[in-house]
Amino acid sequence: MGVLGLLLARLWTMQVLYGGEYASQADQNRVREVTTVAPRGRILDRKGRELVTNRATMAVVADRSVLENPALLNRLSALLSMPVADIKERVSSVREAALAPRTVMIDVPKVAVAYLSEHATQFPGVDVQVQAVREYPLGASAAHVVGYTGEVSESDLSASGGSTGYSYGDIVGKAGAEAEFEKVLQGDRGRRLLEVDATGRPRRVIQDVEAVPGRDVVLTIDSTVQKVAEKALADAMTDAHRKGFTKAKGGAAVALDVNTGEVLAMASLPTYDPKVFLGGVSKKNWAKLTAKTSDYPLTNRAIMGQYPAASTFKAITGLAALEYGMTTPGSTYDCQGWWTGMGEEWGKWCWKHGGHGTETFKDGIKDSCDVVFYEIGHRFYKDKGEKFQKFSRRFGFGEKSGIDLPGEMSGRVPDAKWKAAYNEDYPEYRTWLPGDTVNMAIGQGDLLVTPLQIGNAYAGIANDGKILEPHVMKQVLGPDGKPVLSAKPKVAFETKTDKGDLATMTSSLVSVTEEGGTGASVFRGFPMRVAGKSGTAQVTGKDDYAWFVGFAPAEKPRYAVVVAIEQGGAGGAVAGPAVRQILASLLGQPVEHVTASDVSR
Amino acid sequence: MNDRSKLWFLNWPLIGVVVLLSVYGSVMVQSATSGMSAGPAMFKRHLFGLAVGLVPLAVAWMFDYRKLRGWLGPLVMFDALLILSPHIPGLGATAKGATSWLAIGGFRLFQPSEPAKLVTIVVIAAVIAGFKGRIKSGRELATVLGILAVPLGLILLQPDLGTGMVFVAITAGMLLIGGLDAKWFVTLGVIGVVLVGSVLGLNGTLDKSMGRDVLIKDYQLDRLLVFVDPSLDPKGAGYNLEQSKIAIGSGELTGKGLGSGTQSNLRFLPEPHTDFIFSVTGEELGFLGAVLLLGLYLALLVIALEIAAQSRDLFGSLICAGVISMWTFQILENIGMTIGLMPITGIPLPFMSFGSSFMVTNMMAVGMLLSVWTRRQGVSGI
Repeated sequence: MGVLGLLLARLWTMQVLYGGEYASQADQNRVREVTTVAPRGRILDRKGRELVTNRATMAVVADRSVLENPALLNRLSALLSMPVADIKERVSSVREAALAPRTVMIDVPKVAVAYLSEHATQFPGVDVQVQAVREYPLGASAAHVVGYTGEVSESDLSASGGSTGYSYGDIVGKAGAEAEFEKVLQGDRGRRLLEVDATGRPRRVIQDVEAVPGRDVVLTIDSTVQKVAEKALADAMTDAHRKGFTKAKGGAAVALDVNTGEVLAMASLPTYDPKVFLGGVSKKNWAKLTAKTSDYPLTNRAIMGQYPAASTFKAITGLAALEYGMTTPGSTYDCQGWWTGMGEEWGKWCWKHGGHGTETFKDGIKDSCDVVFYEIGHRFYKDKGEKFQKFSRRFGFGEKSGIDLPGEMSGRVPDAKWKAAYNEDYPEYRTWLPGDTVNMAIGQGDLLVTPLQIGNAYAGIANDGKILEPHVMKQVLGPDGKPVLSAKPKVAFETKTDKGDLATMTSSLVSVTEEGGTGASVFRGFPMRVAGKSGTAQVTGKDDYAWFVGFAPAEKPRYAVVVAIEQGGAGGAVAGPAVRQILASLLGQPVEHVTASDVSR
Repeated sequence: MNDRSKLWFLNWPLIGVVVLLSVYGSVMVQSATSGMSAGPAMFKRHLFGLAVGLVPLAVAWMFDYRKLRGWLGPLVMFDALLILSPHIPGLGATAKGATSWLAIGGFRLFQPSEPAKLVTIVVIAAVIAGFKGRIKSGRELATVLGILAVPLGLILLQPDLGTGMVFVAITAGMLLIGGLDAKWFVTLGVIGVVLVGSVLGLNGTLDKSMGRDVLIKDYQLDRLLVFVDPSLDPKGAGYNLEQSKIAIGSGELTGKGLGSGTQSNLRFLPEPHTDFIFSVTGEELGFLGAVLLLGLYLALLVIALEIAAQSRDLFGSLICAGVISMWTFQILENIGMTIGLMPITGIPLPFMSFGSSFMVTNMMAVGMLLSVWTRRQGVSGI
């Protein structure tokens, strides 16, 4: 009796009290989840041309067990013509928790695939899989905008408590649009629940949820203009080298629709080929892409490069001066080449050491006369109140514009508070001096801007003082190819600038590209009127940085284009021709390479 | 005496319980084998075993058990012969490390160690009956143990640890009914523990010194160790226990329904139709099914005890005690192992497990109980 009672007590505990736990264990035994990767969405240009798509490739994968088999590693190395060390690196980078096989090589030659399938027993732990990888029909074009993909990282997975929905080995966007629009590009994994027997053989399907492919993203980029911009930027670089500026390596170009904020082209040099990331980037390639000597090709200088704005900033200084009554269009200044407004011992040169003679405010823009802006800067300093800085911020300087790309930098609008904090440990440098405002007035000193910020500011001048939020995403397409989401123009900075002041500035900027202006030789023969401004920034210990920014048509502006070349020399001569080519492409004009002779800054 | 009165002397409650158990067992064997390709054939073989079992049942019932008392010598020899028979060249077959099958041309027919249990019961009963209900001296006890040593020694040499344990359990139950002093039970218990300990120790030393697996087979030791800690080997010996517990536990109160046990049908459960038939029952019919089965066993044992009490003589009571001990031990061991209360041994569940030798033996045991009942006190002329 006691014996039966004992059995009964135990059964009661197991079946009634803890039955639920055993039941879930029984389900774990019999239910297997098989997931299928959803095809990643494509990235298209504004006209539907593929910038990024997918293709199937034969990949060789291997699990960790091959690491303990030197003979196998040697066989595999010979077959794939891949050093043993590289194979080891790829396989051993499998994290502790992920026992899933790791991709050794993609685009495996057919011969090797055939050999592996026929001699499978000689290659335990090695398998051939069909994988979907990114394909770049236009090569490296727009590489910084589209970005690249890679295997989901440990930190991505643990983010938000591991409920990210990602699994080990998932491919996710790591930079550019691939990263920014990861959520829509990724899609949802297919999920199939199978009932299996003790040997793992499937018996029936319990639940089957199809994979939902990722959405296609249409960018605002026009791949034709993009290619022109890339070529113009590269040509400008070559041009700089020919002119003796051999250190010129980095640069950026941005083309904006001033009425919508759409980015039609965005190029950055040096660039990289997103293909190197397919199947996982090797340590060697990664080191190459991130080495100091490589000039950081992964950096999108259009939004991450922070440079002195130089004379391109004079338009902002000028508008600020007009608004606060520090000048009028007709105010006259006397440029003798050497300005001593802050006293003889603080004298400063105009870029034209011979002097411009008598200059109106508008001449100051046309000739890019430094003395005019020294005077203005000095008046702003004496006014106290930092109105110039506040005005600059209204045009988006010192702030991120909110572009839908990761990694945007905010630049810097220096002021007294900043300077005191920045030089905390150097009390003698903490005081805001007249020279600080004067330097800022010509876009030098501690002012830092990104090429995009300069582009935005000029787009704002062109668009009645409204700066639209720059963006690269135009639409997200549904499964039927129809848009499910469209970007709407959004004002990023309402500069609230007087229309008259803007008209004064625009006409001054137009005079820059006309005969007698500092950009005249760049736009000679251009069929439309262009409002533009060159800039040549001085950077301590480096060659001058070249800038040119402009918008056209001047009467009814549509596009703003900015080009910056690190250590490229004179802005008008080096960056100007690039801006002309990009504007020509945007406006449907013949794209001509011009050689500019302007010596101005 | 006519046929009608003879039928009256049958113990109908016993027959009723055995019929219910056999039906219950058949249903479960059918369910457990339904997923196997040889399932229908196995189920037929099970029913055939049941039918064949009716013959020894009837023979044992008709046969006056009292005659057996005088045949001690020949019975001991017959017992030994049964156990040794698989070792006769051309007749034996080895399965799972033990040579315990009689086979012809490799076709396994019969496990002679099964009926040997009943012969051993009769032999021990004959010896103890001679002591008239009081076992006082060590000499008397030694006689019993000496007789037991013959079949037990031979069965352990096969080696078949499980059946050996049944022999020990049978003898212990019969010594209790036979009037063994409590002090001797204590002494035997202590000796048993010491013996088991030293055998285990000796086993390790021998295995090492001889460089091969002798005495207790490694798989037997594994089963014992895994009983203590199933997580030692979750994919090997511990796997069976884990899967069995999952099966039974997941049955919960009412079970998953006949034929719907995932653990058994998807083969997670090993030997679902033989050693682990209870796990199938627990999974498919739940706690209620288990209670029903245990209730039937309780009825079976209570009826058997009543028969023992009504026996005309001590010999008959001792035979009943042997059968009761055998069943009790098998039920406890089999069900116990499926829920982790006992180590895993290959002992089947009476009237439930698939296996014709086992079924025939249990039917014969029923026949022996009926033989004692039919010739009980106050019944004359038979």
